[in-house]
Amino acid sequence: MEALTLSQAIVVRSFKRRRLAFAALGLLTLSLMVMNLGIGSISYSPREICSTLLNPGGTGDLDFIIWKIRLPRVLAAALGGAYLAASGLLLQVYFRNPIVGPFILGISSGATVAVSVVMLTATGMQMAFAIPFLTTFAGCLGAYGVMLLVVAIAAKVKNGATLLIVGLMMGYICSAITSILTALAEKGKIKGFVLWEMGSFSGFKWVEIWIMIVFGGALFLGVYLLSKPLNAFLLGEDYAASMGVNVRRFRVFILLAASSLAGLVTSMAGPVAFIGLATPHMARLSFGAADNRILLPGAALMGAMVTSLCDLIARMWLSPVELPLSAITAIFGAPVVIWLLLKRRGVRI
Amino acid sequence: MNAASVLKSENLDVGYKTAILSQVNLDIKAGQFISILGPNGAGKTTLLRTLSRHIAALAGLVQVEGGPLSDYPALSLAKIMAVVLTEKAAPPLLSVWEYAALGRYPHSGFLGKLTGHDFEVVASALTSVKADDLAGRMVDQLSDGEMQKVVLARALAQEPKIMLLDEPTAHLDLKHRVEVMSILRGLCRDQGLTVLAALHDVDVAAKVSDQVILVKEGRVSAFGRPEEVLTSEMVAELYDFNEAGFSRHLGGIEIQGDGRSGRAFVIAGQGRGALVYRLLAKKGFFITTLFPGQGDLDHYVAQALGARILGESTGLAESSALIAEALADCLFLIISGTNPAKREWEAAIIRQALAKGLKVLALSEAQNGAVPDGVRLCPDLPGLTGMLDEYMERGRGTDKNREANHD
Repeated sequence: MEALTLSQAIVVRSFKRRRLAFAALGLLTLSLMVMNLGIGSISYSPREICSTLLNPGGTGDLDFIIWKIRLPRVLAAALGGAYLAASGLLLQVYFRNPIVGPFILGISSGATVAVSVVMLTATGMQMAFAIPFLTTFAGCLGAYGVMLLVVAIAAKVKNGATLLIVGLMMGYICSAITSILTALAEKGKIKGFVLWEMGSFSGFKWVEIWIMIVFGGALFLGVYLLSKPLNAFLLGEDYAASMGVNVRRFRVFILLAASSLAGLVTSMAGPVAFIGLATPHMARLSFGAADNRILLPGAALMGAMVTSLCDLIARMWLSPVELPLSAITAIFGAPVVIWLLLKRRGVRI
Repeated sequence: MNAASVLKSENLDVGYKTAILSQVNLDIKAGQFISILGPNGAGKTTLLRTLSRHIAALAGLVQVEGGPLSDYPALSLAKIMAVVLTEKAAPPLLSVWEYAALGRYPHSGFLGKLTGHDFEVVASALTSVKADDLAGRMVDQLSDGEMQKVVLARALAQEPKIMLLDEPTAHLDLKHRVEVMSILRGLCRDQGLTVLAALHDVDVAAKVSDQVILVKEGRVSAFGRPEEVLTSEMVAELYDFNEAGFSRHLGGIEIQGDGRSGRAFVIAGQGRGALVYRLLAKKGFFITTLFPGQGDLDHYVAQALGARILGESTGLAESSALIAEALADCLFLIISGTNPAKREWEAAIIRQALAKGLKVLALSEAQNGAVPDGVRLCPDLPGLTGMLDEYMERGRGTDKNREANHD
């Protein structure tokens, strides 16, 4: 009986800490989102923002700026960050390697290539109305394609550092293809593509937001419901199989979900660096957890918070010039990789 | 032996694409501890992975609790069978308690929510491996030995009837090796768990197993009780020993001398020779010895060390010609004990050795009566070691002098 109370005490203690971390992180994310709504070339008070949000359909400047420009961007940044973080977490569990993420494995680049085909060639032009769906679909497809290549190579080389190099090379190949396509494309199309390629959550249409909410939300929910087998995967595929996980089916699902989440965000916001890699670690440390039932929502929240913060910095740091989002996320995320390599935190690399 | 068979294989071929082991026929009863022994690469791990369904059988049939292995849904199999692999994942920020609780996977509900019963099972799994005090630690901060106990606890939390283990004591220190083995032994005895473990240490296997499976060169060369199967010949053949010997009675391996220091004659008996034999083997001597007595510890050690044993067959009478021949290639005579049945032989050997001018050393405790002239007494084993070193050093010196003279 004593052992029972001891183990329950351990569980209760970590439960309290995690609840606190969720509350703090949620509050921080929310206030960053409000700041993103309020701060800009014209600034609004939280009260003005609240009343505008509560009374949709207004026709003033305030209503236009909030509803048409800032709110889509705020939601896109938060959702995009959340999905990239979830995607990164899935990849880290799958490869049992802390230094992987959708960007570093070349998966975002795969999405970029597929999107560039749609945006730069004539394929997209005839179906302008379908662009958000088409680019999204292309993004997911491109991401999955590269993912399958990386997985096939990873199966041959078990070394974690090699995996990073493979991802890096994939990135090079993809950007080579993209630049060839850019060279061949009509001038008019290039500008939009180049802007997109720098990564940004600006200019989101509501239809894109809804795609993110519905499609991404469904994927995220599906992933969350499978956090039990995902936890079993922490011990490796062989142990997971011995505990009753259908490894073959589950493997396909993880990879499909990770690349779809990354592809979805990339197709709309462009390749955003390092969010998917760094934020799962920040979540691990803040929640003190390896349990994916905690980490999935935790990393998503952390991803939303960090991306909102980075977007705020990108907009405001050298305002009125807006900095590319990927530049900010890279400055913030690349040191995390170096830190992980130095620290190794008990993980083989 | 009426216990039900929990794991059975018929004409099983295992391997990746081509068979590494073929025609494996096993019948394992509940509550037994079974060891799989064999040289590296013989297929121990492959056999285990086939029985745990990590890889498919190439041919033949495996039955678990009477049903074909291939028919079990993954979750049902996980409730019967747990595995401990050589690969040890220790994810950061995962507590020992959480790690062990992952073993509840096949029993817990959707999203893996644990009930009060699950808590009890995990707690008792940690207790049975004596790891209660580790519950709050992080798995990536454990020592190898502690981690292995936690790995066992996770497997136990599955509440399996069969546990398959691949090298469960590899890389562990002696304390944890003994601890892990006695935990497993206890689980078989007290909870009726069936354990099937691939092991490296033949001496440990001999002491803990109910049955052993010997695998070599593509087949199971023996399957049975270790007392019957693990003879010195079988073990020597299993591992291709040339320089070591396994003794069933001693339950261990003796490492033989390579003869580079020459040969020494030992008079032993009543267990006083064992340490002297080992000392000589360690120093690189071949050994000739007078039969130390039936059932004497010295006799078993001498056999395992591959010594030439004089006077083993009882009919043979003492003969000075035989003794002279045996002493011919010996550099020393060491008197470490006595066999009362061979007193005359002993006296004759000492006499001849002294006459031949051999160095004769005697451990004081071995001497019952007066010391013959010319016998050097050593107070104890370290003293003997010192004298041996001294002689060997002098021997080497002589060799060098000889070489120098040649030039």
